[in-house]
Amino acid sequence: MSQNKIGVDQWVEQYDQRVNKAKGLQGFIARTSQRLPPWGWLIVLVAVGALLPVITQNNFAIRIAGNIALMGTLALGLNVVVGYAGLLDLGFVAFYGIGAYTYAYLSSDFSGVHLPTWVSLPIIIVISALFGLVLGSPSLRLLGDYLAIVTLGFGQIFVQLMTSLTRVSLPGHERPVDLTGGPNGIINLDKLSLFGFTARTVTDHYLILLVVLAVALLVIYHLNRSRIGRAWRALREDELAAEAMGMPTRRLKLQAFAIGAAVAGFSGALFAGWQGSVFPANFDTTLLISVYAIIVLGGLGSLPGVVVGSIVMVAAPDILRDVTLAGTLFYVGVLVTLIGAIRPRWQTALLIGLVVVFGVIVRLIVGALDAQALAEPQLSNSLITNTVRSWLIIPVNATIIGNYAFGLLILMVLGVSRIKHSVWRLAALVPTLYVLIFVWETRLSQEPSVTRLLFVGVLLIVLMIYRPNGLLGQKRVEIV
Amino acid sequence: MSNNGTKTTLLRLEDINTYYGPIHILQGVSLEVFAGELVCLLGGNASGKSTTLKTILGIVKPASGRVVFNGEAIQNQPTGYRVERGMAVVPENRRIFGSMSVLENLEMGAFLRHDRDGIKADFERILGLFPRLKERLHQLGGTLSGGEQQMLAMGRALMSRPKLLLMDEPSMGLAPKLVEQNFELIQQVNQQGTTVFMVEQNANMALSIAHRGYVVQTGRIVLADEAKNLLDNEQLRKAYLGR
Ligand SMILES: Nc1ncnc2c1ncn2[C@@H]1O[C@H](COP(=O)(O)OP(=O)(O)OP(=O)(O)O)[C@@H](O)[C@H]1O
Ligand SMILES: [Mg+2]
Repeated sequence: MSQNKIGVDQWVEQYDQRVNKAKGLQGFIARTSQRLPPWGWLIVLVAVGALLPVITQNNFAIRIAGNIALMGTLALGLNVVVGYAGLLDLGFVAFYGIGAYTYAYLSSDFSGVHLPTWVSLPIIIVISALFGLVLGSPSLRLLGDYLAIVTLGFGQIFVQLMTSLTRVSLPGHERPVDLTGGPNGIINLDKLSLFGFTARTVTDHYLILLVVLAVALLVIYHLNRSRIGRAWRALREDELAAEAMGMPTRRLKLQAFAIGAAVAGFSGALFAGWQGSVFPANFDTTLLISVYAIIVLGGLGSLPGVVVGSIVMVAAPDILRDVTLAGTLFYVGVLVTLIGAIRPRWQTALLIGLVVVFGVIVRLIVGALDAQALAEPQLSNSLITNTVRSWLIIPVNATIIGNYAFGLLILMVLGVSRIKHSVWRLAALVPTLYVLIFVWETRLSQEPSVTRLLFVGVLLIVLMIYRPNGLLGQKRVEIV
Repeated sequence: MSNNGTKTTLLRLEDINTYYGPIHILQGVSLEVFAGELVCLLGGNASGKSTTLKTILGIVKPASGRVVFNGEAIQNQPTGYRVERGMAVVPENRRIFGSMSVLENLEMGAFLRHDRDGIKADFERILGLFPRLKERLHQLGGTLSGGEQQMLAMGRALMSRPKLLLMDEPSMGLAPKLVEQNFELIQQVNQQGTTVFMVEQNANMALSIAHRGYVVQTGRIVLADEAKNLLDNEQLRKAYLGR
């Protein structure tokens, strides 16, 4: 990155000054991140990634890490199409599927072909890129929303075809032929084998995916800085102006489409090899939403953003499966939010103290009125949760009351957000927080599957409020 | 290449008819720009000035008629081809790439060129022409002031070292003082050898630096003359010069 300070814009300079002044850990991270060149980051990423299997033999953790690398690679491809070229391609996941199915055809008993992966991968890349061109050339005449709809249709058609092409009459065959295995997919695929090395364990796959992610990052980083990358950005900014500069806008879009498709197909092949099977359901809209969430969360067009985005989007739902962990995260999250949102800090302490007192009083009152209404708290193996539960009241019919409390909570939050006076606001926060904890303990912590999604949703919303351009996205400048 | 005395024709429109859907915008437009000239195209709002430029550049295609550039009929060629042959445009409303730096914006202007040394030389020349841009090379284009954006748009167009510079209302949105400066710059660029074809509403100013001018009205050329004659033209005075 150029460090030329001549004519640096005022706000850039102010930003630099702020970074240089920032104290503590935050300032240290900001300064280091500025000094470390991009390839330095890549080395850090690979080094930390490679350490993981050394630190832990936990296959669950390594599998998650492998998923992060795989989704990261896939998202890099989408990042080229959407983040760089600005084409809203909602059929992207189909290319992932095309790569996966092509792998299945080239390496399984289903077709009787057994190519080693390093031979099949180039073929898969070319086939995916060709499909990218085939889909791209008619649809690129369309703009914006229309492109989105047509490509979305393509994605759906792919899944439909893979599900239904089970009895196709082909010339030269007497009976209908099964082309795709239908909903049951194609199973018993060959293992990934690269130059004589065959991936068997989770760790093998993880390491391959880590290297692939690093290489993809490197390639796409340079692609973005090349002539074509800058042309893509110009195209995204202002297509007419780009055309007036003589840029071949149509060809540029097609190239973005094809490169995105190639990366997706490549990732799909690795996915198929790792899973050992392919099913149409692997390539449905859920996956599409996840990949989009990754690049939007990380910041459109940002490569570090893709990595961070996939860590959050892949790891969060998996980690939150663990109830204890989810509980800890919940309380830590509430605490951090309070500390961040309330100034001066002593008010945070006061608030927490008041909530505890409020809880004790509620407990006393309810206990005096009707002691039988209280259930024994179910203890868990988390210290925080146990402390909270012995202080909170848990009614006998917790689920139903929890539902009402949920409704009440929403009203209270709306109410609190409208109070302007700081003392009253603090006072109103006390019962609100109490009800929040009540809802968590009676409802949410009891249903991890729902909570998980709720958590991810809230996380996304909060992030988008504070960082509208994604975690690491660059601010877009609109000309008005 | 046609010769007219000592002058060489750089651009010629021959009986151009351009439609937007069913609407007939340019109705038999013919005009000519000689190499080295500064020619302006005047006209009221919605008279078809921008459409003329777009037709020249190939952003819209004429239904009939010929666009001859440098002796070659190019009306069926794409924009890229024309830019490669030496056209560049400062579009209406400037159309800077907002999230790209001033430097990158300038680089985009030279997108079709591959002669590194030539690009570097032109880059220095343009920064000399617009010292303001030099101060702000790493600022994002969209955060420039309107006047600075106008300079950037002009610098970007010049980065392709065009034979013919097309400009659409370069004075739009500029303070009177800046307008004057801007026109001086245009004149300077022209004197350094770039042919300029300029669309303007500011007829007085445009005619004061132009060699010749055309006046377009509802898609037809109604007047064509030397700039100084147009300044004295009764009809034009009443219509545009407001005195
Ligand atoms: N893409 C388009 N589709 C339909 N009509 C158009 C299109 N572009 C321009 N027009 C119409 O063509 C006519 C001429 O437009 P043009 O942009 O050439 O005007 P102009 O002379 O540049 O005016 P101004 O000085 O206001 O910029 C206008 O009536 C305009 O509404
Ligand atoms: Mg116009």
